[in-house]
Amino acid sequence: MIELYHSEPNSFYLKPLVALKEKNAEFKSHYFDPTKFEQFAPDFPHNVESDLQLEREGPLLIDGGEIISSSFFMLEYIAEALPGTDLYPGDGYTKYRAQAWGQFLGLALGPAVAALGCAKYLGPVLKTRGQTELKAAIDKIEPIERRNAWLAVIDGSYTDAALKGAAEKVKFPVKRVEDWLADNTWLTGDAYSIADIDAFALLSVLPDLTPEIVNATATPKVMDFLKRMRDREAVQAALAMSKTGKPQEFFVPGAEPSRWG
Amino acid sequence: MLKLYHWEPNANSGKPMLALAEKGVEYESHYLDLLKMDQHQPEYLAINPDGTIPAMVHDGRVLTESTPMMEYVDAMFDGPPLRSSNPKERWRMRWWMRYFDAYFGPSVSMIGWNMFVGPQARERDPEEMKAAIEKIPLESRRIAWRKALFNEFTDEELAESRRRVIFSIDVLEKHLTRHKFIAGDSYTLGDINGFNLAYALPFSQPDHCNDEKAPKIMAWLRWIYARPATKATWAKGRTELASRLQLLETKN
Repeated sequence: MIELYHSEPNSFYLKPLVALKEKNAEFKSHYFDPTKFEQFAPDFPHNVESDLQLEREGPLLIDGGEIISSSFFMLEYIAEALPGTDLYPGDGYTKYRAQAWGQFLGLALGPAVAALGCAKYLGPVLKTRGQTELKAAIDKIEPIERRNAWLAVIDGSYTDAALKGAAEKVKFPVKRVEDWLADNTWLTGDAYSIADIDAFALLSVLPDLTPEIVNATATPKVMDFLKRMRDREAVQAALAMSKTGKPQEFFVPGAEPSRWG
Repeated sequence: MLKLYHWEPNANSGKPMLALAEKGVEYESHYLDLLKMDQHQPEYLAINPDGTIPAMVHDGRVLTESTPMMEYVDAMFDGPPLRSSNPKERWRMRWWMRYFDAYFGPSVSMIGWNMFVGPQARERDPEEMKAAIEKIPLESRRIAWRKALFNEFTDEELAESRRRVIFSIDVLEKHLTRHKFIAGDSYTLGDINGFNLAYALPFSQPDHCNDEKAPKIMAWLRWIYARPATKATWAKGRTELASRLQLLETKN
């Protein structure tokens, strides 16, 4: 049976949960707390790809002994490998659109969402922990980019200017989605697909993290998209797997911002 | 006929060029000179408003993201399959393409822009270049051009890029010890993607990417370079970039 290692159903952890629910797939859930660094326990599954994944703390799917990481490609895997509802419909061009959205939103929006979410929610949580033990745990993390992403949450990197910059980064991809949804029902056109699951996981937290940018007045199409997604049984079933009751407040470090600025 | 707007057979432009060649797909080639900023001229912006290269036009559809573009080519045209039918190998191919595109590639290109694009761009009239940069549609590309033109890459940024490139050489060498190709047992888009970003490593990182320290990478690069599609694609190069491939002819 497929196994999924995940935490609270938010951001990248939410994606495979929704896709598996859409497929009505049976899977064994392994819930873990990445803020307590359970993903570094000796018996936690890992391979080269999961260690080096650019989302850093994302979910892991295990199927037939293979450890699948990186959430958008995990969605593609679920869509292509499992029976059930077609989550990747259409011809090569429709799939191109899904991949182009996944790449664009993952790179343009993903880092900003992780920074804003960690600053607002994870930072205060980590402050309640014993700082000596916390620092010692972070110091052991490899590779260095993954370690630095955790350090950024506690070392004052999230200055007002940095967070303002992250919020600015949200505007361009959000506008692109808003403009697209003015003429299209879903991200690839007429049919629901993994591109919508992927986009929902990134966009659904923005009315909270950047209410001045994503709201009913400024982005009515995005807000309508989020509502249509939340109305889906699979999304509700995925969100119901929360153990805190507040999945939208759970963030861990994600992809780093572009080093080109 | 399919139209491809591209620069040199290198990095993002080279990906669809090599994929099309492997599939045996004829295309109408539109060469854009990146250094002259052809990609920011109105004629091209009418095709790709983002002003990025490459762009593909097929059956009235416009595709502008190079890695998904390769999957489109494989899905829509006859010819040898360039993706495995095994979902696990497809996942591995995609994971590695993202690693190449988002981790390894930006570091390679930062070094390349600092050494190659910046100095050549600085030979032009600075005021003319400044005005040209202001016309670039995407903020991220404006930033990149400003950094290259005004030599704004810091020593720390360049050192970090070199560290990441050397780290990636080690990661890739180990990967190619476990697998014959990027996705597994067969040649796929993952190899085409990786080759486009890594083919110049023996030239740019001779102390780290050589037959002694990275024999698997060297053998992999030579195997791809020996393919007729690769030779035909790199023969389309017009600058010294393509000549860096010649190092792969020195052995085996």
